[in-house]
Order: sequence, then C-alpha cells, then structure tokens
Amino acid sequence: MALVAVLIELVLVVVTMLVTATLVFVGPRRFVTAVRDFRWRLEACALPLAVLAGVLFLRWATGDLLPQLSWRLLGSNITPYIFELERTVFSQNPVTVLQAFQTEVITTYFVFSYIYGYAFLLTFPFIAYFVLEEMDDLSTLLVAYTANYAIGLICYVLFIAYGPRNFDPFLFEGVLYQAEVFPASGYLTHTVNVPENVFPSLHTSMAMTVFFLAWLTREKYPLWVPVAGILAVSVLISTMYLGIHWLSDAIAGVVLALVSVYIGVHYSVEGVLESTKGYLIARFGRIGSESRRG
Amino acid sequence: MSRSPTRRRLLAGLGTATAGALAGCAQRLWPGTQDGPRQVALSIKTTPAQDDPIAAMIVSQLEESLRAAGVDAVREPMEQSELYRDVLVEREYEIFVSRYPDLDDVDGLRSMLHSQFVGEQGWQNPFGFSDPTVDEYLEAQLSETGERRRQTLAELFEYLLDTAPYTAIAFPDRLAAAASDFGLERPPRRPTDFLELLNARPNDEPLRIGTFRLSSTDRLNPITVDATNAALILDLLYDPLVRHTDEGLMPWLAETISWRDPAVSGGRLVATVELHDELRWHDGTSLDATDVGFTFEFLGDTALGEAEGNVPSLRYRGRESLVDDVTVLDARTVEVEFYGPTRTVAERALTVPILPEHVWEPRSELVGDLWTEALTVDNEAPIGSGPFSFVDASSDLIELEPFDEHVLRTGGVPGYDSPDPVTNSLEFHLSPGPGAVIEGLLEGTVDLTADWLTPEDVEPVETEPNVSVLHDQTRSFYIVGYNVHQPQLGNPNFRRVVSQLVDREHVVDEIFSGHAQPATTPSSLVGVKEDEADELVDSIVPSFPGSDGVVDEEQVRSRFEDAGYRYENGDLMA
Repeated sequence: MALVAVLIELVLVVVTMLVTATLVFVGPRRFVTAVRDFRWRLEACALPLAVLAGVLFLRWATGDLLPQLSWRLLGSNITPYIFELERTVFSQNPVTVLQAFQTEVITTYFVFSYIYGYAFLLTFPFIAYFVLEEMDDLSTLLVAYTANYAIGLICYVLFIAYGPRNFDPFLFEGVLYQAEVFPASGYLTHTVNVPENVFPSLHTSMAMTVFFLAWLTREKYPLWVPVAGILAVSVLISTMYLGIHWLSDAIAGVVLALVSVYIGVHYSVEGVLESTKGYLIARFGRIGSESRRG
Repeated sequence: MSRSPTRRRLLAGLGTATAGALAGCAQRLWPGTQDGPRQVALSIKTTPAQDDPIAAMIVSQLEESLRAAGVDAVREPMEQSELYRDVLVEREYEIFVSRYPDLDDVDGLRSMLHSQFVGEQGWQNPFGFSDPTVDEYLEAQLSETGERRRQTLAELFEYLLDTAPYTAIAFPDRLAAAASDFGLERPPRRPTDFLELLNARPNDEPLRIGTFRLSSTDRLNPITVDATNAALILDLLYDPLVRHTDEGLMPWLAETISWRDPAVSGGRLVATVELHDELRWHDGTSLDATDVGFTFEFLGDTALGEAEGNVPSLRYRGRESLVDDVTVLDARTVEVEFYGPTRTVAERALTVPILPEHVWEPRSELVGDLWTEALTVDNEAPIGSGPFSFVDASSDLIELEPFDEHVLRTGGVPGYDSPDPVTNSLEFHLSPGPGAVIEGLLEGTVDLTADWLTPEDVEPVETEPNVSVLHDQTRSFYIVGYNVHQPQLGNPNFRRVVSQLVDREHVVDEIFSGHAQPATTPSSLVGVKEDEADELVDSIVPSFPGSDGVVDEEQVRSRFEDAGYRYENGDLMA
C-alpha cells in the first residue's frame, strides 16, 4: 500500500516536470503534430523498443535466479577491493568528503535528484527524440539504454559489491534512508534496488548517457544540454552523497555510459540482425558447399 | 549443486584481479607468488550494515584494532543467508561476526565446541575446533551436579579463555515498539503472549506485526539454518514436548513426564513421556507417539539411514544428541533413553519442535552427496501442531490463524488458564526496513514490531505518546568466530589476542547506547550470560589494550609479540 502511494507521488512529480520540459524544449504545437502521426514513428523504432522490453523482461523473469548465480557460481565479492583501492588513492574517501557537507537543504536537493531528477532525466529524451523528423536519435537512445542495462546486469552477476552505507556505518552514512525529507523512499528503492548491485552505478551510467546524447543532439535541443548536464552530474554526486555508491562505481558508470552511447551511435538492432544473418549465410553457405564438394 | 572450490577460487581471482592488483592486493590474491614470511592477512565476513548495523560496527572496531596491530584486515559484507551458508554450511571463512540466536543452557557449548560435531553443519562446531581437554570437560559436565559441575565448568571457562575458539562481545537487549494502548512492557516472545494480545483485540481484528527481516521467500523450515529469519513464526507453528516459559520448563505436548534415575534403570536416565489425548496436526491428522519417535530419529539423521553415515539436521542437534533411544510404547507414550546427562541437562532434549512424520518422512531423500530434501526444502506451507497455523504468504504479508484444536484449547496446559477462543489472525506485514516499520506504527497500519531494532531505530519514537518502546533482556549475543583451519587462526595464542581487540564496555555504551550487557566474565566470553562457576575461575580476564574503543598500538603489538609473533616494517608477520 505504501509503495503505491509513493509511486503515485513519483508519477505526479515526474509528469509535472515532463509537461514543463515539453512546453519549454519542444513546444506544444510540435508535440501535438508528432502525437498525431505517432504510427510511423513507433513503427520506425519498434525493433529497438522490443529489444529493450526483452532485456527488461529477462531481468524481471530471472529476478530470483541471478542473485543465486552471482553468489554461488560466477560472482566475486569486490567490496573490500573497492574500499582498499579508494583508501590507497585518496587520503579521505570521496564519499566521506561529500557527506561532510551535509545540511538539510543539500540532502533534500540530492534526494530529489536521485529519485525525481533521475526519473525525469530518463523519460524526457523519449519525448524529445520522438517528436523529431527522423527516428534515428530515438533508436540511438533505445539501443544505448539497452546496452546500459544489459552490460550492467552482466556486471551485477560478476561483481558482488555493497555500497559505502552498507560497508561501514561508522565511516559512511546511509543518508537517503535517514532523510527526513522522504522517509518512505525505502519502499521504492528496496523494490527496485538490490543492495549488493552497486558496481557500476546504473544511476550514473543512465544519467550520463542522457547527457552525452543531449550533447550529440545539441543542434536540435541546445537548451537541453545544460539542463541534462546539471541533472546528470547531480545524480552522479547524489549516489555518493547518499552513501549508496563509491566513486569507483560512479566512474565505472561514466565509462559504461560512454560505451553504451558508442554502441547506440554505431550500431542499430537492424544492422546487428543484418550482419548476423550475413555471417550465418556466409558460414553455413560455405560449409554447405564444402560438404557438397567433399 | 556441485561447487568445485578451485573453479570458484579461479573465477573469484579473475574477477578481482584487476581491482586487487591496483590496490596492491596482488599478494593477497596470489599468496603463492611470494615465498617466505609475509604479513598476516585476515578477512572478516559479516552482513551489510542495513541488515545488522550493530554487527557492522563491531566489525569496524575489530578491523581497526587489527590494522593498528599490523594485520592486513579487510571486511567482506554479505547477505545474511549467504553469510550463514558460507559460515554454517560451507565453512568458508576466516573470521565472522554475527548475532548468535540463543545459548539456552551451558550444555549448549557442547554442540558448539565438542570435536564430535566437527564434521557437521549448522551451529554445530562451525569453528572446526577440536581439543581433547575441552571434550573431556564438556562430557564431564553432562553427568555432574552441584559443586562438581561448577568446578568442571570453571576449568572449562578458564581453558577457553586461553584457547578462544570464538568470543562473545555483548548480550543485546531486544528492543521493539508497540502501539501504547496494548500496555506492553516487554516484547511478546512466547506463543501464549500472542494469544493474549489477540484476546485484547476488538471485533476479531487481526494483530498486525511489522517486520523487515522476513521476506515471503524465506524458508519456513524449522531444521535448517540459512535463509530463515522466521524463528518467531516457526516457534508459533511448531510445538515441543516441553516449553520454556517464564516459570521455567512446562510440559506442553506432553501431559506428564516421569523420570527414572540411572540407579534404577540399568545405568541410564530414562524419561517416560505421556502425550495429551487427541492431539492434532494443523492438517487434521492425529499427532501421536510415533511422530515423537520419528522426530528424534530424523533430527539425528534426516536421511533415515539411507545415506552412508548420518545427515543430521542443522538445528537442534546438540539437544537431540543427548538422546540415545526413543521407544514408542503406545499411541500416547514414548520412553526416551539418554546417553548420560543429568535430568536438568536432559530436559533440554525435550524442547525440540516435534515434526509430523507424514510430512517429513518423504523428505528423507538424498539430494546430492550429503544433503537431504529436508535440509533444502522451503517448507512453504508448514504443518505443525503449535497454537497458530499457517494460512498464506504473499509478497507483503504472512498470515497465521489460531489453531482451534491446539492443546491449550482442548486439554489445557498445566500452569496456563485456557485462553478464550480467538478467531482473529496474526498478520506479519513485510516492509523494506526499520524506518518503514516504525512509520507504519506511527500511522497505525501495524500494531507492533517483530524484529530486533537498534537504539537508533527506536530513538525517533521514544517521545511519541501513541507508541511505547519495549525492552527485554536476552541470552542472544554477538559472536566473533574463528575458523581454526585457517593457518593463523589455528594458533590459540593468536586467537586469544584477537579476542581482546574489541572494547566491550565501549561497544555497549556507544553502539548499544547502554541497551546491552558486555561479555566480561569467563563464562560470558563464550556466550553463557551468567554462570556461578565464574567465581571459581582464577585467571584474570585480559582487558582491551587501549581505551574508549581505540586500541593502543604499542600495547597491542607487544601482546602479539608476547604471543610469539614479530614485526617487519610495522607489519605483523606470519
């Protein structure tokens, strides 16, 4: 019940942000026109959309299996190594440094960024790229999201890592969970997050992906670039400030974002399907002819 | 499930090699790459802070002290069920810190430390400790009484001060919170407490209990140890022959128990247990003496003789091991013959939960080499004979209802007034964390909390008029366990120094805000909360080498040097 209430609140806030952003960056006329001929737009990106849905479904369907696979077979607990690495490189852990700035205002800002800012950042590009004349950017977005999620999932199976707040309560605070501003956030984050999946930070990688794509499409949405940039960096910092992620997770998240954007720009689902088909035909065609010759 | 250790280690190595090498940990990962003495390295396994902040903070102190002593100590947080798996089942750990559920009697030390249990799993000697002297004391105390037993126990405690196979830190109070209109002073813990609470509910309203430890995927298996946060629920569902109550042990499923002393029964202590008439399981099947006989056999060997050697249950083994033989005389009567304990110790054996043969007998099938279905089964719809029966579990709710045909209702348990019949149910509301449970209490969506809360959890509601904070002292304790099969930890001198490295008084003041008792006597250091044998111990309990939780580098290093260790560039060398 509490989860539903929290979800409704989230949806209300994010929809308000989306409407505002659509009015400012897209304009009502352009939006209405695009919605009117939604059919070809959807058709144009149906394939990458289906693949993204497939990956999300896979995640949902294997929810019970993946942790077991990770703990019992494939995963290794890298938490101590992350801590050691950061201890060797920094005199004070970056999370500790950030948390030293704690005030109620700053906490409110970062909790807002982590939950509402992030949800808005992820959803607005759908609208922004959907109204364009061509669907290339939307496809890129979808492929990049898919790559983020799929690679992230593989990392979560391979690496078991707990965030600072779970590592040492003396050194790091679980600010989000103590935050007076939004005590029910636990319902949301516990439903979505698994505490041992922190490397890399998917919050960071998804947010930075949106920012990098905003940069690539800066000619179409020049004003969106600074907004996406500020929000994405806020999300990145919030993951550490709130004690959820290490700096290492955030850096790995940025790298994952770069890789995902690269994949999104250079590959398309159609292209991958085509080349796979070509490869299979070439290979089995050749084997077929060889065996006939033999 | 086959898990080749080499394969696992290799995968772990590959996965961590990059990060590890960067952190200067290559030596740690590939200990074979360097010959000669090297720095002592230890990993401490524990739960993540969100699961048990207290354990995590104890680890912080221990880790810091070890580092000050020149040990390369790291901690490895892991999900509770995985921690239990590694420590209690696989025995893959160096040091672990956790909360030990409850040492119900000094004799509980026997299953924790006797070498007889070294090959078993669960809380049966998870340390791999094996010492003939300790075995002798543990066996002697079984059959001794009075001053002699006290003397034996004093010698045992004294010996354990020196050998320290594990150590206790503190006995936490159980903290809980409840709506103040219940007028509770301490958290309910016995099935009868819950029946009384239900009686106090108006209009058949369910009693709503907030919990964040349980999940609907937890096992409701009473005889295994991993993935069970359900101890409270299991205690409501499964009944023993005799039960611990505030007035001591009370016959429960047993109507009467008569004892024959060894002198008159051929050297063996024998208890004749007569069950109440017309006992029933939750599924309506009748509960009779064969179920009792079956339970003792099954706890000792869940494969019922079908495996090479026994496959004992992971819980209640220490108590079951007191029993030599159970003979079913008729449908209501069994004769329990004991190996050699005195009656006081033997009574422990009768507190194990009785299992229905018709449900568990088919689960004796072997799974893999040394596991039976009984140890791995989730037991999703448990059938017991307790005062509550299982109704349903969903992702956010576990529901139990009062069992009409329970002995409390039908025959009556001596010492208890038969409670008025109740029809309202017990609802366990599952939520994501202590904060959400407390919030539910403030909003009136739950009536009381089920789990152990920390002082920090209850602090926000201490001044709330509608909510009372409840305290209860317990025998549960925080344990630091050592795997004596690890090269360094095999040395008792080393373990003894490590055992001194947590400032227990400081932990109680700072981490527990005073809601705990420190382990500072010889008996409490092994988890026996208080024992009069302490007065007979001559040795002085070594103090923490430092003050206010901070270890004094010089002091701790000289203690390791006294234990035969040396330092090189500030590192403790193995």
